[in-house]
Amino acid sequence: MSGLRSVAALFVLFALVSSVSALGAMASAVESEAVSAVEGAEAAVAEAFGAVVEAERAGGNVSELLDRLDLAAEYLATANMCLRTGEFDGAVRNASLCVGALEGLAEDAAALRDTAAGESGQRLWITTSGSIVGVVMVVCGGFVGWRWSKKRYYRQALKMKPEVADE
Amino acid sequence: MSLEDYRTLFMVGGLVLILVAAFPGLSVVVPFPRGGERFSELWILGPERMAEGYPFNVRAEEMQGPVYVGVRNHMGGSQSYLIYAKFRDRTQPLPNATASEPSSLPPLYEFRFFLADGQTWEAPVRFTIEDLGFKGNGSFVAGISINDQVFPVNCSSSWDSENKGFHYELFFELWLYQEGSQSFGFHDRFVGIWLNMTKS
Repeated sequence: MSGLRSVAALFVLFALVSSVSALGAMASAVESEAVSAVEGAEAAVAEAFGAVVEAERAGGNVSELLDRLDLAAEYLATANMCLRTGEFDGAVRNASLCVGALEGLAEDAAALRDTAAGESGQRLWITTSGSIVGVVMVVCGGFVGWRWSKKRYYRQALKMKPEVADE
Repeated sequence: MSLEDYRTLFMVGGLVLILVAAFPGLSVVVPFPRGGERFSELWILGPERMAEGYPFNVRAEEMQGPVYVGVRNHMGGSQSYLIYAKFRDRTQPLPNATASEPSSLPPLYEFRFFLADGQTWEAPVRFTIEDLGFKGNGSFVAGISINDQVFPVNCSSSWDSENKGFHYELFFELWLYQEGSQSFGFHDRFVGIWLNMTKS
């Protein structure tokens, strides 16, 4: 009878140890899921920001894209804080909201970059050709003006009458 | 005026006009240096959005603030910023702005935002000391809530007989996303407010 009891006690102990270690493994799985979700969101924000910076460098107006990035960044900050305080569900939820807020942003940034690059090429052409035309006009105008001034100078010089100065 | 004088006048005038006409085209081709230093401003203001009236004498479970933390971008392009709120006692490390080293304390609350060049960001910060205790000549803080998020901390302070109080500091570090390393780095700026823990 006592043998049966000790077998039962051992079984209960084994079940307890197994369930505690299973719970521990589950908790660590939840944590690592949260960590990877937040890391993924962070990478997505960085990628989207890179696309926005490219669009800005091409001359695009990125204020609307920055507003969308701000919303995603707010979710990411909350996800990070949840991770810090052990609220792993909250971290995963906010990381997913962050990724959702970035949907289509990289594509919009790329489209803005292309449009801005096209416009900037056009602006460059207009500016350069305007400058060239301006320089040519100044050179030609200067040449014509110089010839006219020279003629006028000679005309006036020929009209002059020599005078004998008093000694 | 002699003909030589006329010629000189024409040449100088023509040269000036040529430079004026060529400048728009040249500015596209030649990269002229952009003036001005590139930096970011970081500030903390009191409840009236002035540099005064900051919370100082603090009791447990009493909400303080808001104080306003703000940033202005003068970096010449859009930037991604991160602000870490940290809490310390007098023995714990502050950031070292000259060596570009952030405080080794763990961050508590954080703000993330993006700013175009010349833009300003400001956010309110309300905080409550959640877990404050006094024992003999010392005090300890084990929890702080910032904008309704509770964080555990481990700070203790003995009585400061010179300044008469149990002093702690809530401070904010500015971090900037660096394209080169593709990660945030400490941006050499921090601001903070000193707090004196009181019993009642």
